[in-house]
Amino acid sequence: MARKTVFVDTSKCTGCKACTVACKEWNELPAEKTHLVTSYQTMKDFTPNTWTYLTFVEKYQNDTMNWYMRKAQCFHCAEPACLKSCSSDAIHKTDSGYVVIDQDKCIGCGYCVENCPFGVPKVDEVRKKAYKCTGCIDRVENNLTPACVQTCQPGALEYGDRDTLLPKAKARLTEVKKKHPQARLYGEMEMGGTTFVYLLLDSPDVYGLPLNPTMPLSLNLWQDLVRPVGTFAVGGAAAAVVVGVLGNLLKGRYSSGSEKKDLSDGSKQEKGGER
Amino acid sequence: MLDTQRDGIQEVQPEKVLRFTRGERISHWVHASSFFLLLFTGLGILSLSFRPAMVIFGGVQVARLIHRLIAVVFVVVAGAMFFIGDSRYHWEWLKSAFHFTKADWQHISAFPKEFFGGHGDYPAQDKYNGGEKINSLLTIFGSFFITVSGVVMWFSTQFPAGLVRWAYPVHDLSMFVMTAAVIGHMYLGLLHPDSRVSIFGMLSGYVPTKFAKAHHAAWYERVKNQQRAVPGK
Repeated sequence: MARKTVFVDTSKCTGCKACTVACKEWNELPAEKTHLVTSYQTMKDFTPNTWTYLTFVEKYQNDTMNWYMRKAQCFHCAEPACLKSCSSDAIHKTDSGYVVIDQDKCIGCGYCVENCPFGVPKVDEVRKKAYKCTGCIDRVENNLTPACVQTCQPGALEYGDRDTLLPKAKARLTEVKKKHPQARLYGEMEMGGTTFVYLLLDSPDVYGLPLNPTMPLSLNLWQDLVRPVGTFAVGGAAAAVVVGVLGNLLKGRYSSGSEKKDLSDGSKQEKGGER
Repeated sequence: MLDTQRDGIQEVQPEKVLRFTRGERISHWVHASSFFLLLFTGLGILSLSFRPAMVIFGGVQVARLIHRLIAVVFVVVAGAMFFIGDSRYHWEWLKSAFHFTKADWQHISAFPKEFFGGHGDYPAQDKYNGGEKINSLLTIFGSFFITVSGVVMWFSTQFPAGLVRWAYPVHDLSMFVMTAAVIGHMYLGLLHPDSRVSIFGMLSGYVPTKFAKAHHAAWYERVKNQQRAVPGK
């Protein structure tokens, strides 16, 4: 399947939260009690039952307010830090560009939680499993659009092949820039190019997003250096012991009489330690 | 008290000499047994090749729990033993691990030859030879860093993600260093023809005088007259 993309045009988003509801309906996630966080925002973060929610930022400048709304969910990176950090082989990437957590393999260690530059995956402490937006992989692989895209009324979400959607996104950006000079695409290049590509009206940090999301250096060191070199070193130590034992055997150093005597004496001696 | 026997020992050589007191031995074995349990359960979490073995504990989730329980033993009990189990000798060990003499360096350069069954040339060694001091340092620093990183991983919600991310490679690096060290340590203590009798120093506390003279002459010369004679047979 060709690389897919969801284009999130925040200039068209009205903050209606229908995407959250559609996500819950398709993924059979029950509603939960919400609280007003700020502006019109009612979710602070993802929960085991809420995989996508709306963030609202009110930015006041020159006596006008810009109301920035953004649908938050997993970005589905082309180079996913979560996948690289997973020690259980529980995260995989599809050809269509989706990053999916295998619930059977996941043990809820939380390595992905800490390493995601966007802070997306979380561990469900009851089930001991990591969870996040699946991108509606079950719909996508059956030629349906993701539930959130399907329901979006103002047309802020668009789903299709990356090759056809990216040029459209760029054309839309040129249009939007006339009114929002700070507008930009986010996710075209970030983390190898994310499946969810945003048209943001302002700098990513205004939305609480990292300016330059990258694969953490500590993660690269861990997986590409510490683990292979460490495994090699432990193997080397074991090999040295084998060589040492064989060398001593060949030299006949295990058969000396005095040695045996020392050993048997030592085993008989069971004195308590006092000094 | 011991002085009264000094003259007598000169002629009747004791066959055993006390190397480790009960407190030191308990420290060693608490540290060692908790280390291996932590290593085994930890590998079950870290590596898919070890994951199936976690059925021994009743699954990887139980292994994760045991890992944390044993971690407390590893830190608290082994740490407490340092102070309550013949603390004088623990301090002696700690100080000597950080104090390298010329004789230690000479032992270390002769060590590879010795390790594979040859005979290296090195001067008389103290209670801990150069190689043992290196093993001590790897254990000390490995235990310190694996503990600090482990606390950060356990209570990850209390720390910024930027710090927790670094705890993972630090935790693994400490594990690899200590595992490589313990493999060599066990070989020398259990399998190496010259040094394997040293295991009795960690079991009964006593090593054969012959071994003490050959491997730790400087230490033996210092303590032979202080220790009560252990009559052989």
